[in-house]
Amino acid sequence: MKKSNRIRKVISYFDNLPFSYKTSFLLFIITGGMFLTIVLSQIAIYTLKNDFDILFEKRTKPIIQLEKIKDTYQINIYDTFYDIQQKTIEIEQSKEIIILGQQLINKNWKNYKEIALSTKYEKSYITKLINSFFSIKENDQNHVLQKSIISNIDRKIAELHRTINKIVKDLERKKFKEALEKITNIYFEINSVNIYITNLTNYDLNLAITEKNETQKVYSLLTSILNIAIVFVFIFSIVLSVILINNFRKLHINLEDAVNEKTKELQEINDYLAIKIQREVANSRKKDLIMFQQSKLASLGEMLGNIAHQWRQPLGSLMMIIQSFQTKMELGKLSFEFVEQKANDAILLAENMSNTLDDFQNFFNPKKDKTKFSIKECIEHSIQLSKYILEKENIKLNVVIADKLEIYGFYNELSHVILNLISNSKDALKSKEDHKIIKIVIKRHNEYARINVYDNAGGIKDDVIAHVFEPYYTTKYKSAGTGIGLYMSKQIIEKHMDGYIKCKNVYNKIDSAKLEYGALFIIDIPLREKKEVEE
Amino acid sequence: MKEERNLNILNNFNILYLEDDKSLLTHTKDILDDFVAEVYAVNTSKEALEVLEKENVDVIISDILLENENGIDFLKDIKKQDIEIPTVLTTAHTDTKYLLDAIKLKVENYIVKPINIKELLNTLHDILYPIIQSQEIQKHSNVIKTISAITDSKQVEIVKYIISNLDSEDQLVTSYSDIMEHVSISKPTLIKLFKELAEKKILVKTSHKTYKFDQEALDSI
Repeated sequence: MKKSNRIRKVISYFDNLPFSYKTSFLLFIITGGMFLTIVLSQIAIYTLKNDFDILFEKRTKPIIQLEKIKDTYQINIYDTFYDIQQKTIEIEQSKEIIILGQQLINKNWKNYKEIALSTKYEKSYITKLINSFFSIKENDQNHVLQKSIISNIDRKIAELHRTINKIVKDLERKKFKEALEKITNIYFEINSVNIYITNLTNYDLNLAITEKNETQKVYSLLTSILNIAIVFVFIFSIVLSVILINNFRKLHINLEDAVNEKTKELQEINDYLAIKIQREVANSRKKDLIMFQQSKLASLGEMLGNIAHQWRQPLGSLMMIIQSFQTKMELGKLSFEFVEQKANDAILLAENMSNTLDDFQNFFNPKKDKTKFSIKECIEHSIQLSKYILEKENIKLNVVIADKLEIYGFYNELSHVILNLISNSKDALKSKEDHKIIKIVIKRHNEYARINVYDNAGGIKDDVIAHVFEPYYTTKYKSAGTGIGLYMSKQIIEKHMDGYIKCKNVYNKIDSAKLEYGALFIIDIPLREKKEVEE
Repeated sequence: MKEERNLNILNNFNILYLEDDKSLLTHTKDILDDFVAEVYAVNTSKEALEVLEKENVDVIISDILLENENGIDFLKDIKKQDIEIPTVLTTAHTDTKYLLDAIKLKVENYIVKPINIKELLNTLHDILYPIIQSQEIQKHSNVIKTISAITDSKQVEIVKYIISNLDSEDQLVTSYSDIMEHVSISKPTLIKLFKELAEKKILVKTSHKTYKFDQEALDSI
């Protein structure tokens, strides 16, 4: 339970690690494992090779040397002596052979000792390190045995050689008896040396077997470590990979969740925006409507001035007529003819007033339906409505009708726009002393009815002209300007009539041959109703 | 204070009426014709100047806003020519600018349109009344002077003394000797005159040396 808890703890610790840590950890494990494996295998190979080398150089080669010594004793010396006993060989000849054999033995023995006692073929440092690390014991006591055997053999060989030399000297002095006696002894000596050498050979072989076992031990140890390392790396990699994959999955799920959440949020925002836009559009429409009302009210003010003025005169006359009845009556001069004449006058005046009222009422009646109407009529009517203003400001208004055109739309709205333009020109012309002129030209322009409204007020200022169609933009300081007249005009022409309105400053022969500078408003209204065609 | 004006006094005056609204001009003229001697109704200042040259005009009535011109300017023009004729302005505009100009030109009155004919007539009356009054006074002093020339001048002098020494309550505080100091007249004649005045209740003795002058008694004679 405790162990599994700990594992779980570790796993959960890994789980909670940041992603980049996990990946780098995996990378570390894999590279570390790889590195370890490679190093271990390299060490194993190196150690094994080294051990084989030692085995060959230190154990096998000396055995060969020893065998050679044995052989030399057997063949060169033993056999020669035997031949001498049998007298099948010349003494001179045998002497050479024996000396050569001795030299060979000495040489081989020397070689053997060199190899056996040299440190050259000691075990490598790494092997020693591994051995000490894994506490594999070497049997050092065997060296003592080896040394004692070697010193024994040293002694024996030296003794033997002295004896052989004596025999050779004896033979040279022709002391055959002594020599033959010694030769018999020598056979024993050679055999004993050979036994010693065989001992040494056995010793070396034993050592080789032991060393082989050691190597085997190191090898199996390294192999198992390697295997464990490989398994460990493998398992760790797999575990980490699984964790990482899980992590990816979690990440993916998290991301998906996050994306879903964001998508949802976006959707909500979208919905909210849609609602807001709808609301804003509605607001804007409402605002437009209010502005339209405002602009109507603004022109209503002007119109009221118009009505007031147009009524004032006949009203004055009417009052006078009524008072004339009164005074005539008081004076007793009221005659039938007088009443008749004055009543007729009064009726005429009243009719005139009534007509004026009708005109204005028509203008303010919001006619909902689009109708086909003549532009000329509409413009003349608009001029009629603004006659008072024009007269008051002493402005001359020329109308040039190049083409008689009929359009489909809101009569009152166009009238409203024309009144607005006239009113603007009137305001602009205020600064002028005299010779104030507005010119309206109606003509056909491609598929449009074009209404040009010129004045000779000197044009709109450059910094103003770009803004004239913006709402609440006014240059008229606190005076009549609400700043929505031209904005509404643009709305009416562009939104209600699918037309265009623009303005620029131009030179125009407005009245005479003389060119005069002033503003020009161009209204284009399509002659054919687009929507009508579509519907 | 002048509730009922005697509009008959307008009968002898000529009026120049300058108004661009022809209808109003005609109808107003028709009324004014009944009250004044002559109405010269014109549409433009040019016509008005012609009338002023030819005719004897007592009062000018002018509209301020005329067609392409201005009543105020017209008045300035005639003031420059040293023509001093009382003027009434009519206008639909109660503009202070015009009002200030009008005051500077010493315009008699300012009538806001639509014109109330009573107001106009009363205004005309008020303008012309002082003229008539001064004419009347001139007439009366002439009468007195003529009478004193053909009757006893002493008595006229006494009457003059009495009238001029009346206090604010129409009382005369004096004695015969006081009078005789100023006018050389015999006492019997003086007593006879006072008696005569007392009999006609024109000058009644109220207390010692105090006499009351009775206006009504004079009027009833």
